Amino acid sequence: MSKEEIITRLAQSVIDGEPEDAVELAKQALDEGLDPLVCINQGLTAGINRVGELFASGEYFLPDLIIGGEAMKAALAVLEPALAGDQERQILGRVVLGTVRGDLHEIGKTLVGTMLTANGFLVTDIGIDKPAADFVSAAREANATLIGASALLTTTMPEQQKIVEELKEAGLRDQVRVMIGGAPITQGWADKIGADGYAEDAISAVALAKQLVGVPV
Amino acid sequence: MPGLEPIRPQLKLEVLNPDELASIKAATLHVLEQVGIHVPSERALRVFAERGAQVDRESQIVRLPPGLVMDAMNLAPRSYQLCGRAAGTELALDGTASYFCTDGCGVYALDFETGQQRASCKDDVAKMARVSDYLSSIAFYWPMVSAQDHAWTAPLHELDASFNNTVKHVQTETVMGEKAARYAVRMAEVIAGDAADMRARPPLSSLICTIAPLGQDRQGIEAGMVFAEAGIPVGFMSMPNMGLTAPVATGGALAAASAEVVSAMVLMQLVAPGAPTFYSIVASVMDPHSANYINAIAEKYLCHVAGVQIAHDWGVPVLGGAFGAQNLEAATWQHGRDSVYNSLMVPLAGADIVVGLGLLRASTLLVPEQIIFDDEIYHTCRILARGIDTSDDGLALDVIAEVGPRGHYLAQRNTRQHLRSWWFPELSHPQRPMHESAPPDIRRRARAKLDKILREHQTQPLDDAATAELQAILEAAERELDA
Ligand code: B1M
Repeated sequence: MSKEEIITRLAQSVIDGEPEDAVELAKQALDEGLDPLVCINQGLTAGINRVGELFASGEYFLPDLIIGGEAMKAALAVLEPALAGDQERQILGRVVLGTVRGDLHEIGKTLVGTMLTANGFLVTDIGIDKPAADFVSAAREANATLIGASALLTTTMPEQQKIVEELKEAGLRDQVRVMIGGAPITQGWADKIGADGYAEDAISAVALAKQLVGVPV
Repeated sequence: MPGLEPIRPQLKLEVLNPDELASIKAATLHVLEQVGIHVPSERALRVFAERGAQVDRESQIVRLPPGLVMDAMNLAPRSYQLCGRAAGTELALDGTASYFCTDGCGVYALDFETGQQRASCKDDVAKMARVSDYLSSIAFYWPMVSAQDHAWTAPLHELDASFNNTVKHVQTETVMGEKAARYAVRMAEVIAGDAADMRARPPLSSLICTIAPLGQDRQGIEAGMVFAEAGIPVGFMSMPNMGLTAPVATGGALAAASAEVVSAMVLMQLVAPGAPTFYSIVASVMDPHSANYINAIAEKYLCHVAGVQIAHDWGVPVLGGAFGAQNLEAATWQHGRDSVYNSLMVPLAGADIVVGLGLLRASTLLVPEQIIFDDEIYHTCRILARGIDTSDDGLALDVIAEVGPRGHYLAQRNTRQHLRSWWFPELSHPQRPMHESAPPDIRRRARAKLDKILREHQTQPLDDAATAELQAILEAAERELDA
């Protein structure tokens, strides 16, 4: 297989959502001496961008998006360790994402994570039912620029406020933006608690995240 | 309070035959034994382990042998009563009638005065309880919205507003956690008189959601155990979103959902043998782009009916799902279309209790007059479910002979007598004195009826001592929970 062909097929494995093929092709690329950064940028990233376009145009469904993302992740696990010391995959920002304490609603949060990943963010998903302190410590560990907090219950919304407060106490408020979402959340609530933004759905969450990290939308 | 008018179906609907029911039960037992359920509660894990379930403490997965499941489910009563605080509010869950309640737990309301959308509050719960007290379609009350003007005690304030404004039975879907549940039990004792009366005539019941796929909510089941021990009926609802939190195919979704519900019901029977419990599956299909529930889709209606049959196959009462429109505005084609299938199909399948009238935007928005629209759909279903009267009175041969060929039936006593007991669709076909014309806009007609109820209907008040006791319980709860 020519080098171009391997890269095209890498992209295609993401578009088709075939994690096993993606891993095989990634290994083959390294065996053939291809530059892993080129494989990532021209293969995997091109592939996931195409998946994003197909999803946005309505042709692809959520499972296509999620399994495409998994194919990309699986191949990245092969390619990233092979990057030279001075090479780094380009990411738009590091995001710590979770659902707040007392709240087990998982789906919206996971969807936002998938869309952010597909759009070039590096997402650390800390899961559901997480207290403010966990968001702050995860943000510190991941050197995150953005915290995303989901709350679906009116009784758990105050935990989003706590995140903003605890970030301040930890002296991290200047480095870390906070974005919030969930069915009962409004822009008014975001303003009230001093969050940096609110997004109504996963698509606008991507636009907001880009805006918050200073990337043109 | 005007008398209740439950649906007593003569027509019957089944979507599963006995063989299909048996295969769903077998699949459920298989999931419970082989795959297991996530139970993140120390107390529940201990109970399960003591009674012979296979418990993995670390992953908090419980696997239940079929014998344990069958024995526990056999302890769950098929029939019992839900009661209100006045005569005529008793609901016998015995398979002869379907009793409907309001939808609940919305987060937004269109303000009663300004019509502007705002966060919901305790006064909304109170006002809608009073409207529900009046409507004969509403047999029991789910607090319709969240009392967001209160913090952690909001669920108890919702009960306070409900008990003060309707004599009908109240079902909570928000009291979670052991502590809040104990306060709710105390409130129910005040309404019933004492603990023994509360067991005999429970004025409160609780609905708790399982966490699809195959999980329980710690706060939910810990509240459930408190309720079961106190004799407060407690039900479990699985809300699988097919393709997302359950298999995309209906059979697998029902088996998995049933495993969630049954595992919680088994737990209740282990801590309180013979406790009144009920079963509920409200399934839908995932929107393949947003992952939201598609609120009105054929598979959902089928699963709702199947859920009723599966519950009865287990020998327990069932809460069915109806109404729950997706649309944003009252009085639209979409609202009628979204509501009408379930609200007929679920009672025809024999659901003992059914939720719920009155919310829009997938159970998140209270539009006050919406309940009037749903009330009209409800009564239409009620008459439909009765079927055709072929009794002597229904065939009316004597009257046919008396009028004979030609002529008319207007002068017949039989006509006069029957018409008096008929239900007429007031909204879509307004009855007005001849000189008065009804407002042409149906939404205004609905609103006018709602305003009249709010203006004129007074709920039989609680006595002062009970109101004061409820207040004292709320204050104690605030000191403990809000702190
Ligand atoms: C970081 O930045 C961002 C940016 C955007 C973000 C974001 C973060 N997070 C979300 N977004 C946004 O983008 C997402 C993608 O477009 C969107 O996410 P959503 O999550 O909104 O959308 C998802 C893709 C699909 N939507 C959902 O998944 C939520 C749908 C509804 C029906 C819902 C579901 C499914 C569930 N529930 Co629950 N549930 C309801 C919901 C009603 C509703 N219509 O919203 C709601 C939220 N629930 C409610 C309740 C009461 C409860 N639930 C409970 C349980 C459950 C299930 C487990 C059954 C299930 C969740 C399954 C799961 N694994 O996640 C219980 C609580 C459990 C707990 N401790 O958390 C329980 C208390 C019920 C009970 N009696 O047990 C109500 C809350 C009322 C209130 N006052 O707060 C409720 C509004 C329904 C109702 N009217 O009763 C946007 O909001």
